[in-house]
Amino acid sequence: MNAKAIKNVQGLKKEGLVSLFPDKIKIIVGSASCGLAAGAGPVFEAIKTGVKEKRIKARVTRTGCIGLCHQEPLVDVIIPDKPRLTYGKVTPQAVKKILDALKKGKVPQGAFARIDTEEFLLEGTSRTYGTDSEDPQIAQIPGFDVLSFYQKQSRIALRNCGFIDPGNILEYMAKGGYTALAELLQSKSPQQVVSEIERSGLRGRGGAGFLTGRKWKMCRAAHADKKYLICNADEGDPGAYMDRSILEGDPHTVIEGMLIAGYAIGAAQGYIYVRDEYPLAIERLQKALKQARTHGLLGDDILKSGFSFDIIINRGAGAFVCGEETALIKSIEGDWGEPRQRPPYPAQRGLWGKPTVINNVETLATVPAVMHNGAKWFSALGTQHSKGTKVFSLVGKVNRIGLVEVPMGTSLRDIIYDIGGGIPDGRAFKAVQTGGPSGGCIPAELIDLPVDYEALSRAGSIMGSGGLIVMDDKTCMVDVAKYFLDFLENESCGKCTPCRVGVKRMRELLDAICSGSGIIEDLALLEKMALNIKDSALCGLGKTAPNPVLSTLKYFKDEYLAHILLKKCPAGVCKNLITYAIDPAVCTGCGACLKACPADAIKGEKKKAHKVLTKKCIKCGACQEVCPVGAVVT
Amino acid sequence: MVALKIDGIATSVPDGTTILTVAKKLGIWIPTLCHHDVLTPYGGCRLCVVEVTLDGATQIVSACTYAAADGIEVQTCTERIIGIRKFIVEMLLAEAPQAEVLQDLARDLGVTPPERFQPRNELCIACGQCIRACREIVEVSAIDFAHRGYERVAASPFFQRSEDCIACGTCVDICPTGAITKRDIPAGEKAVVADGINITGPARIIDNWKVGLALKQCEKCGEHFAPQFQLDHFSKRASLPDDFFNVCRQCRT
Ligand SMILES: Cc1cc2nc3c(=O)[nH]c(=O)nc-3n(C[C@H](O)[C@H](O)[C@H](O)COP(=O)(O)O)c2cc1C
Ligand code: FES
Repeated sequence: MNAKAIKNVQGLKKEGLVSLFPDKIKIIVGSASCGLAAGAGPVFEAIKTGVKEKRIKARVTRTGCIGLCHQEPLVDVIIPDKPRLTYGKVTPQAVKKILDALKKGKVPQGAFARIDTEEFLLEGTSRTYGTDSEDPQIAQIPGFDVLSFYQKQSRIALRNCGFIDPGNILEYMAKGGYTALAELLQSKSPQQVVSEIERSGLRGRGGAGFLTGRKWKMCRAAHADKKYLICNADEGDPGAYMDRSILEGDPHTVIEGMLIAGYAIGAAQGYIYVRDEYPLAIERLQKALKQARTHGLLGDDILKSGFSFDIIINRGAGAFVCGEETALIKSIEGDWGEPRQRPPYPAQRGLWGKPTVINNVETLATVPAVMHNGAKWFSALGTQHSKGTKVFSLVGKVNRIGLVEVPMGTSLRDIIYDIGGGIPDGRAFKAVQTGGPSGGCIPAELIDLPVDYEALSRAGSIMGSGGLIVMDDKTCMVDVAKYFLDFLENESCGKCTPCRVGVKRMRELLDAICSGSGIIEDLALLEKMALNIKDSALCGLGKTAPNPVLSTLKYFKDEYLAHILLKKCPAGVCKNLITYAIDPAVCTGCGACLKACPADAIKGEKKKAHKVLTKKCIKCGACQEVCPVGAVVT
Repeated sequence: MVALKIDGIATSVPDGTTILTVAKKLGIWIPTLCHHDVLTPYGGCRLCVVEVTLDGATQIVSACTYAAADGIEVQTCTERIIGIRKFIVEMLLAEAPQAEVLQDLARDLGVTPPERFQPRNELCIACGQCIRACREIVEVSAIDFAHRGYERVAASPFFQRSEDCIACGTCVDICPTGAITKRDIPAGEKAVVADGINITGPARIIDNWKVGLALKQCEKCGEHFAPQFQLDHFSKRASLPDDFFNVCRQCRT
């Protein structure tokens, strides 16, 4: 690799810095899927046309998801010499006010957060936007670093999401991107790269938590004329969207991670297997690949180093099981997406029969940071056996829904209460489902559990890809188990008996329990089936499918017993087991329930206690929702 | 060659030999359902599971797909394994209670049909032997699985009349549960193959694939011995002379 190529990288980096910090106003619109779903499209257009019409000297760009999905659409405004200001839930109407203020040379009202400095994780530096602490209007806006949503986070895989324009490779480079690649192409042997990743303790973020360095080593050691690298971007867990966010917000980090991995294992061809339901991610990836090729970072003789590598995007049709590595490989080969037994592992015999490394998006997004900052830096974060950080998608009954990245070992309490802001409507926290549909439910007693691979597994759950679904006391745990089993039953490929028939029959038992026809023997039967399925299923889908049942049986057996013995659903969810009634001592006769009832199942005179006509009641719960005094009971 | 231990017996076998093959050679019984010696191993039914221990770590794997490796210790008959086999037969018994092969397995393993589950009475247990036989032996690939999960079933394309099926009946013969039916009808007899598909004999019908094919008559003995379509397929594949199948096999020798 020659000095000219390196110099070129340095030059591009400078250009990127100008784009990141122009010497005029910059307006940035959060335009990942979460932002666009909340209306970022029209907001972006309104800003573009507004800026033109009002002749404001400003650069308008897009960025990825910063994690505050509950505040989307987000707009950031950087006025030279002032901190970066963040505006939440922006509408085209609000845009007008922002632009009017900017036109008058004022700071627009209504920012909910302020960023004074921007971290350059890979450079080990930060850049101050400008601190106008004199301005009382700005001083009273809370800084990002003190927002509880951010305080306990540590963003490595998400380091650029929400900061750079994903469509601009120069901005990625300005943040230190492709530097790790350039350096290691110049000075490190593939073997050294493998060793560095091994020493970092990085484990796969796609579910199983296999040591990335060990996987690479195994593939590197395999003898073959060709090797392949696959990025797994199938992301099928309901409620999980960390991979999508990375691809939409920072596609180049995944590409750089793939280049490093390809170099380390000796592959010349990479694939990104991405589900077709992620059109924006695909679009941004395509653009990023093109840019990387243009700058000599992808293709033949990369940066004149002699190393050649290219990437093909392979679109999947959105089957959950196609995220499983052996099924994914078959799918790329054009066959049915069905798993096969391992060993041989893909690192021994994978795509087209050749040694193949398959890594998750988040794993690969972390790789450039590890290579740039070193194994020691990375392994200083996290716990003894789980190093670094993990991205979680925090969803369900929690105030601040969003994407968070925390060091391994952070407690559930920190994530749910400090970062997530606790449970809405003052309700009680009941459980959190971790690890996606085939994870487990962790009860409130274990709220102080430090989240890492080992602790979750000891608690009967899994890390999975990092989904965290928070549930409050209005959740029926038997119903939850049934919901996940239903999902897995539908997503089973059907190849092996335990998963195809066993999971379906388990779901039938749960149906029976939820509808009041469960018998006490069902519990032992469920457990027996669960253990046999875990032991004998062909792939990870079947092997983990019983987890929701096992973990709820472990922590919430009393709820199962109430359904079976008392024919009652304590959370008031299972329709067959609840009857609505109005407590005459509490009812004020306001008539709200009577108006809300869609089935004419409530009668009563004004100011007198009302009654539910049980025969007519369709158990929709509308009366309970609207009752101002809590007189409707189940 | 790799050296391994199976149920305490030390043995060595050529690379790539599956545990199932090793067991068979040593006379160790491992029940199977989706396996057939002449077909590519599939690993679907999971009846053949065994425990494999290497470096202190034990894994449960299907013997029909797992290639023996140096230093492994295999247990084919532990309590855990027996438990799994019983469970699988129970599950399948609820699917196809009338299948003799399952009744026999139930007897051997001491399993009774599970009372808690409604029998499904679907004979196809998705073992895929018919599909592999059609692809690998007959080289026609007239059928494949349709649907996924619990609905998975061997089927002709779109559940319509298979255009490629040569009605050779290999699938019928290989099916362990008798889920596929074949019938020959004599000259002049009319039959309904499927909705809207009628045929007049002499013909062979495979009901599952909605196929009915005219039978060729032997020029010597006059028997209707095989579907013309099938004979064409075989002549082409084996580059036989055009008149090779003018007579049936009995009359040829
Ligand atoms: C049913 C099933 C679904 C999976 N889905 C995904 C997925 O969507 N994305 C992913 O990265 N890994 C998924 N995995 C895990 C992969 O098989 C594989 O372990 C992973 O991609 C390896 O990458 P890593 O080592 O970087 O985690 C799934 C596994 C199973 C059993
Ligand atoms: S015989 Fe091995 S899995 Fe079916």
